[in-house]
Amino acid sequence: MTEATGVDELVTETADRLFTQICDHEAVQNAEAAGAAPEIWSAFAETGFPWISIDEDRGGSGGTLLDALEVLRLVGYHAAPIPAAETGVLGGWLLASSGHEIPAGPVTVLPNGNNITASVSGDQMTLAGTCTRVPWARIAERIAILVEVDGQSMVASVDPKDCVIQPMTNMAGEPRDTVCFDGAIAPASPCLAGVNPESFRFRGALSRAALMAGAIEKMSQLTVTYTNDRIQFGRPVARFQAVQQHLVWSAQEAALARMAAETAGREANRGPAFFEIAAAKLITNQAAARATKACHQAHGAMGMTQEYPLHHYSRRLWSWRKEYGGDAEWSKWLGNAAVSQGAEGLYALVTGGSSVLS
Amino acid sequence: MRFTPTELTEEELGLQQQVRDFLQEELPPGSHEPCLGMAANKDKAFSLKMAERGWVGMALPKEWGGSDRTAVDRFIVVEEMLRWGAPVGHHWVGDRQTGNVILKFGTEEQRERFLPAICRGELGFSIGMSEPDSGSDLASVSTRAEQTTDGWIINGTKIWTSGAHENDWFVCLLRTSPMEDGNKHAGLSQLLIDLKSPGLEISPIPFLDGSHHFNEVTFNEVFVPDINVVGDLGMGWHQNTTEMAYERGGPDRWLSPFSTVEQLLREAKGTELEDTVSDLFGELVARWWGIRNLSLSVARLIDTGEAPSIESSLVKEMGTRYEQEVVEKLVHLIDIEYSPDSDSLFERLLAQCVVTFPGNTIRGGTIEILRSVASKGLKGLPV
Repeated sequence: MTEATGVDELVTETADRLFTQICDHEAVQNAEAAGAAPEIWSAFAETGFPWISIDEDRGGSGGTLLDALEVLRLVGYHAAPIPAAETGVLGGWLLASSGHEIPAGPVTVLPNGNNITASVSGDQMTLAGTCTRVPWARIAERIAILVEVDGQSMVASVDPKDCVIQPMTNMAGEPRDTVCFDGAIAPASPCLAGVNPESFRFRGALSRAALMAGAIEKMSQLTVTYTNDRIQFGRPVARFQAVQQHLVWSAQEAALARMAAETAGREANRGPAFFEIAAAKLITNQAAARATKACHQAHGAMGMTQEYPLHHYSRRLWSWRKEYGGDAEWSKWLGNAAVSQGAEGLYALVTGGSSVLS
Repeated sequence: MRFTPTELTEEELGLQQQVRDFLQEELPPGSHEPCLGMAANKDKAFSLKMAERGWVGMALPKEWGGSDRTAVDRFIVVEEMLRWGAPVGHHWVGDRQTGNVILKFGTEEQRERFLPAICRGELGFSIGMSEPDSGSDLASVSTRAEQTTDGWIINGTKIWTSGAHENDWFVCLLRTSPMEDGNKHAGLSQLLIDLKSPGLEISPIPFLDGSHHFNEVTFNEVFVPDINVVGDLGMGWHQNTTEMAYERGGPDRWLSPFSTVEQLLREAKGTELEDTVSDLFGELVARWWGIRNLSLSVARLIDTGEAPSIESSLVKEMGTRYEQEVVEKLVHLIDIEYSPDSDSLFERLLAQCVVTFPGNTIRGGTIEILRSVASKGLKGLPV
């Protein structure tokens, strides 16, 4: 018996089965070449998974944030080429918390949206400015934009047809488009308390930690399989101590990343989890660096080819590491938290996390 | 392999608070030179005080003097003691592993003789594994025990024996029948040996800084009675492997530099150093938080009756490397010429970390051996 993490097991089973069927190596490769994967999105949307954690009476699928993060972990594990985090726990969350309708199609958000200018008149917002690195904007039905107007957080639900979208990608070939909002007018409304640029930043980091934990675990498993199949000098290369080091190091980082992401998810599902999320993003960032290095080394030249799937995970990890806060941003946040506790409170922070900061 | 997130219950948090209160009262900051992890000073009086509160041998059954507490409860006590730098050296081995081995494999008579005394914090144990020609290849041990009418006569040498000069008993892995071709794990047994036995000679192997922890223990016709054989003859390898699982994956494998880091913050607070170290502290608390969660989940798994040997090997391999990384980061960032005689406690502790921590990835099984154990487990092979 193991203690329940609070995730609905059916979510894990169903999502894993779905992605195993529709996101094989070839499908992910084709999605990258085409810049989108409408058939994968349709199959995903049919299950209602994109809208888990959004209340049913708001147009969501119900369920908890933990369930939604479990789906994201599996999206990362299978390198599913879809805007899962953007549509649900980020964009869906913004729209639902400000009374906007949840559309039937994909939603995206502005991870780095600070250079937008917005003027509000009644329940409409007029936007100006250009945002870079907007995930999947080219296929989005709505772009949920969070801005602070006179100290009040507001969300505008923008129709991408009113914007000019220039396709761009990240290192994994995932869409990270440049969007020009000049002149776009969209319905806008204030958010519930607690939804603001700071909490959005943390929620974005949490979504990436979940994706990254999945991708690191998959990479680690691929590496164990590959090194046990690959024969050199008359035996599987996994028997060599030098290779065992890579296997062990990547398995550790996979375990650490998943533990951190799941623990942060557990706390976020309950209440404020600033410490846990910051720590989880920093840990998954660093785990991504260590694990990609170890897994690539253990795969030799094969891991450097497009024909072998390792790159789906490693390139995503290199990209996601920098999204919603790189190492420097989160070390700084955590360092301030640690120093503010002082020597006497330092260990209590390690064991108690956000509960000692509030 | 799966590390399931877990957290402390209200009752467990209560125990954590009790231990913190105890330490605050017994060893207030500034009143003692913190020890660096499990290589802690031996302070029998302190061990007795912990035992009075039921914190030594606490996971052993009440009928043998223990408290019937869980592996997680023991985790909490050990964690708090180590992060405080408390002098837990006297009862350390008996509490962590020997009590478990005697409970699991020992006779009723041995349980009665040893377990209550362990739980009272009275007995100190040494472990006899390595020999001059047997280190990582432990199954090659050649120290012989020859059967006589009512016991065993032992000849040979054990090395790297921590604390033999101060402890009471020695749990030794010995060859009780000759090595057979192709099965070097057979013919080994565990014996409990009184360190005051005639013919047993203890000589120091000075540590690199001159301090005395290690010893060489030579047996010259040492007699050990039959009643001191632990478990079944020839089952020593299996028992020893089980014992090692208790050794691995706990807070002693990742907390050793904590006192040093805490002291840095104490000394840097309010100075210009505070800004320099801030980001480093961010990274350290994050990784400590993460590794602690893994280690705690191993303890929880033990309480469900599982033997998480892969998981604990992974935690130990990572934790001990992390301890060294922490020290390297401190050395890199704090540009001072630290000295073991400095007025600054931080400098003294850091100097001690630099000199002694290379041993952290060696003791209790080198990280190379751990990788071999763990990587077989990752493939799903028996380890």
